[in-house]
Amino acid sequence: MSFLSMAWRYLRFRWLVSLLTISGVAVGVALVCAVLALRHESERALSRDAGLYDLVAGGKGSPLQLVLSSVYHIDSPTGNLPYADFERFQRDPRILWSAPVGLGDNYAGYRIVGTETQFFDLPDRQAKPFFQFAQGRRFEERFEVVLGSQVAQSTRLEIGDTFFGTHGLVEVPGAEVHRDFPYRVCGILAPTGTAQDRAIFGTLASVWEIHETEDRLHYAIQGSALLEGRQERETTAILIRLKTPGLRLWMADEIRKGTDGIATVPINEILRFQRGIIGPAQKALLTVASAVVGVACLTVLITLHQAAERRRRDIAILRSLGANRREVAVLVFTEGLLLTGAGILLGLLLGHGGLALGAGTFRETTGLLLYPWRMPTLELAALGAIGICGAIASLFPAISCYRRTPIDDLHLTE
Amino acid sequence: MIRLKEVSLRLGNAGRSSSVLFHLPSFEVEAGEAVALTGPSGCGKSTLLNLIAGLRRADQGQVEVAGSDLEKLNSAQLDRHRGMHCGMVFQTFHLLAPFTALENVVIGLRFGARTRSKLKEKATEVLDRVGLGDRIHARPHRLSVGERQRVAIARALVGDASILLADEPTGSLDPETGQEVFHLLREVAEEDRRTLILVTHDPALASKMPRHFDCSGLVRSASTAARKENSPR
Repeated sequence: MSFLSMAWRYLRFRWLVSLLTISGVAVGVALVCAVLALRHESERALSRDAGLYDLVAGGKGSPLQLVLSSVYHIDSPTGNLPYADFERFQRDPRILWSAPVGLGDNYAGYRIVGTETQFFDLPDRQAKPFFQFAQGRRFEERFEVVLGSQVAQSTRLEIGDTFFGTHGLVEVPGAEVHRDFPYRVCGILAPTGTAQDRAIFGTLASVWEIHETEDRLHYAIQGSALLEGRQERETTAILIRLKTPGLRLWMADEIRKGTDGIATVPINEILRFQRGIIGPAQKALLTVASAVVGVACLTVLITLHQAAERRRRDIAILRSLGANRREVAVLVFTEGLLLTGAGILLGLLLGHGGLALGAGTFRETTGLLLYPWRMPTLELAALGAIGICGAIASLFPAISCYRRTPIDDLHLTE
Repeated sequence: MIRLKEVSLRLGNAGRSSSVLFHLPSFEVEAGEAVALTGPSGCGKSTLLNLIAGLRRADQGQVEVAGSDLEKLNSAQLDRHRGMHCGMVFQTFHLLAPFTALENVVIGLRFGARTRSKLKEKATEVLDRVGLGDRIHARPHRLSVGERQRVAIARALVGDASILLADEPTGSLDPETGQEVFHLLREVAEEDRRTLILVTHDPALASKMPRHFDCSGLVRSASTAARKENSPR
């Protein structure tokens, strides 16, 4: 009979205490795993979105707000830029790709993004097309739209289906529905794992037409004749990819000076956001999780110590049968390792299983694609550290058993 | 062969007035012999048994068991020596609660056997020999006290130890079961030509053993012993 099977039998014998100890370790491990995996995955997902574009230009305001609204579709835009600026960028030989973003309406809470057809030519960082069509084709005419994968999945819209946009960037009860301007689905994008999965892409001309018609009506009611003065068309933001990413800061500065708006490097904004806002929250969570792990290791120590105390007689019997000090210490140590190991395994399952269960909701709310079973290096290191803590906690009762003299405990009764 | 010569050992808290001194001038047992250790409570019977098993070390003197001078063995060697040469049976059985009868016996082999092959077969065979062939999968709490002591005897026998050390093996049993267990011990010791040293309070049981060793007087208070040593001869 091996030490492992003997240790296992002792743990099974006092199953309730063992289960509670394992659960304590598992809860700590699950928290650490979930926080670290979530941090890693959200960083990766946020960086993937932000990394697609070298620059984002838009109306004056907060650069972070500009990035969140135009890249992640989760905040209000900062203002508008003249469409002429986009036309100027298109002629700039330093720019590899650019696309306008016109916002204003939503469907079922998903933003309708007015852009140009070259939006779908966006290359990824390996120069391969970033967007793939799962069904259909690009929009060619006004009021034709392409759905992001999540929009298609959530709204169950199919190619050829029509719908009406609602005024505003978020779904609000009672908001004005543009019933005179039905959109028709002409394509559905394959999942990208980015916020683009949560957007509906149509022509910028459609966005202008809806809002200019409304403006015309508005001014007609007011009896004004301002319409003629508002002919300059605008865009909410312009997404830019440079031929040489090294020019980002220089170009951003040039855009700031040459237009009425601002330009920013999205990846820099997101990193600042992560470090400034998300980072401290994650650190606080990690601290709590580490404290839970610490308490769990202490529980392993207390459980094993109490078990060793209760088993003084058994240890003495083993010694009387010929087991030496080292062997009884190894037996107790093995029990500790089994408790810690089982706790770590269960914690991993709970942590990552929880992420797997929540990945769908996370994607729906943030648009970020989580890979819940992926283990970042930091998590592996944390698990190693927890394992070492458990081993150290197991060492104390093992040493205590090593030091005991069997004759002192043989008189003890069950 | 067991030989103890001029063995002395301080018991209790050394240096305190409550400590006592165990002193044994000489004790010898031939291989295959059966000896009963008798005497009143606290006279040192169990201490003598533990010295032979190597569970206690003598402060002075020589303890030779199965060809080894125990005082020259280190802790691990002493444990291994005990596992290989001494099978122990206790008054309160000392079975391990989480394990079945078979596993308790296998654990005896795990630490004491000379070879570690066919442990289960051997343990089953020995349990069958002590009349528990049909109870091998029962845990101790499912066994009667007599059956528990039989498991303990099987555990002591299974490693082919040449010396059986039984500390009041019938002390927790009713007279009838006690007789059965005693006869079983005698029988297996005789059949296998093992040395049997049995501690007992029961004069009737002791009378059935071929040799008695009265342990009375082996233990004295430390102060009395010191006075005796210092007194002029």
